[in-house]
Amino acid sequence: MPSVAVRFHNVVQRFRVIRERPDTLREAFAHFYRKPRNTYHDFEALKHVSFEVPHGTTVGIIGRNGSGKSTILKIVAGVYRATSGEVEVNGSTAPLIELGAGFHHELTGRENILINGLLLGLSKREIQRLEPAIIEFAEIGEFIDAPVKQYSSGMYMRLAFAVATAVNPDILLVDEILAVGDAGFRGKCFDRIAAFRKQGKTIILVSHDQDTVRKFCDRALLIHEGALLADGGPDEVIGRYEEIIGCAASALPTGQFT
Amino acid sequence: MFELVHGIYQYRELIWALALKELRVRYKRSVLGFLWALLNPLLMMIVLTLVFGTIMRFSIDHYAIFLLSMLLPWTFFSQALAYSVESVVGNAELLKKVRVPQLVFPTAAVLANIINFLLSLIPLALIVVALRFPLRWTWVYLPIPMVGLFLFTLGASFFFAAINVFFRDISHIVQILLSAWFYGSPIIYSIDFIPKKYHLLFRLNPMLYVLNGFRLSIYYGQLPSPQSVIMSLGCGVTAVVIGFGVFRRYQDIFVYYV
Repeated sequence: MPSVAVRFHNVVQRFRVIRERPDTLREAFAHFYRKPRNTYHDFEALKHVSFEVPHGTTVGIIGRNGSGKSTILKIVAGVYRATSGEVEVNGSTAPLIELGAGFHHELTGRENILINGLLLGLSKREIQRLEPAIIEFAEIGEFIDAPVKQYSSGMYMRLAFAVATAVNPDILLVDEILAVGDAGFRGKCFDRIAAFRKQGKTIILVSHDQDTVRKFCDRALLIHEGALLADGGPDEVIGRYEEIIGCAASALPTGQFT
Repeated sequence: MFELVHGIYQYRELIWALALKELRVRYKRSVLGFLWALLNPLLMMIVLTLVFGTIMRFSIDHYAIFLLSMLLPWTFFSQALAYSVESVVGNAELLKKVRVPQLVFPTAAVLANIINFLLSLIPLALIVVALRFPLRWTWVYLPIPMVGLFLFTLGASFFFAAINVFFRDISHIVQILLSAWFYGSPIIYSIDFIPKKYHLLFRLNPMLYVLNGFRLSIYYGQLPSPQSVIMSLGCGVTAVVIGFGVFRRYQDIFVYYV
């Protein structure tokens, strides 16, 4: 197996931000005739980002909202394809990105476990084998055969977390999800992530919470406005991050908040 | 084409689960549940037979069976298309979060309707028996027009599902197109009602050959000519090649537009 789990080299992700997006045919025709200029501009969500994540390390990505943290995770997960640059991902990935995206409200918990598991790339047999463990971990009890629309939001999140972590990937992608659930369940989630670490899995974790990064990560990356500003030990990188937040806060009263 | 077959095989469990989900959700909150799949064609037939058989006095023997032999495959086609047009856009949240093979969505929508269609053949057989209409041996030929019908529907589904990502009008246009197509096809009437000089025009309808296969074998007790068989399968294969070709060409950028 190659020594790196994830390698980004000069990765650029560009999105076309269309101010007046022709969503319908009428608009498309109208645009065609009027030949408007500058109705879109290219927005670079990632600007020549390069980093490596060796196998078995836990890397935290920090940065302000909209800085491009989640874009990195989505490129690793294969949802986006980088506009340019090289991306190398060695091993299976499972996204813990915004949990429960694949849940259908009319279906029962059990039915949703199956569909979500299949979406994450498990086979039906594997899911049936894992099902008892998932149900137990999620602490759903008899509600498992009720439609998920009757679940409390905590139950919903717990089930989603349980399914996503049951996939047992080589590379776990965690996006800002540990803020859910009560303290008890959050503890369980952290335990599970710690267990992944112990098994030598690679984890990439996006978080605002500096304590989480300090506690779990071997390394941290600081992303600011699409560029990689710092790459190093968590304490050092968090220091830089706090400087940036400080600057932004001091810029606030002058109204230059973009 | 090979890619499509391989993809469907590779993700067969997911496609099957999504199709069942679709059906479950469709019938979940209704008292009669799956019985609606059987009742629907029955009620449709009663309405249309009353209107065209009794009030308009079409001089067609056993009009109910004449009608149903084409109405059922048509209903399948129009419902499958209406569902699959929205299938990619409707799963936007999922596409943005997990790497999922996009082809599973239209395929599952078509598969769900295939199941529904096969169920609707049961009331048809019951009606045939109840009206003391002879149950023709030519029913054994039905799998051939079915394959043509399913392929054609799948191709059209891929095509419209892909375009609908970029222009949301397509789902409205498809509704209107379907209704024009319905009245333009000899479904509620017989092609014999149409003056000969227009027949050439009707032959341009790619659905005609498939629909005719159904009516010939169920109502007339005849086998279609070899040319007609080739045409119905040929239209199906062509539709899949074009439809999936378009879908495949654009599937990687769906995620930026949904």
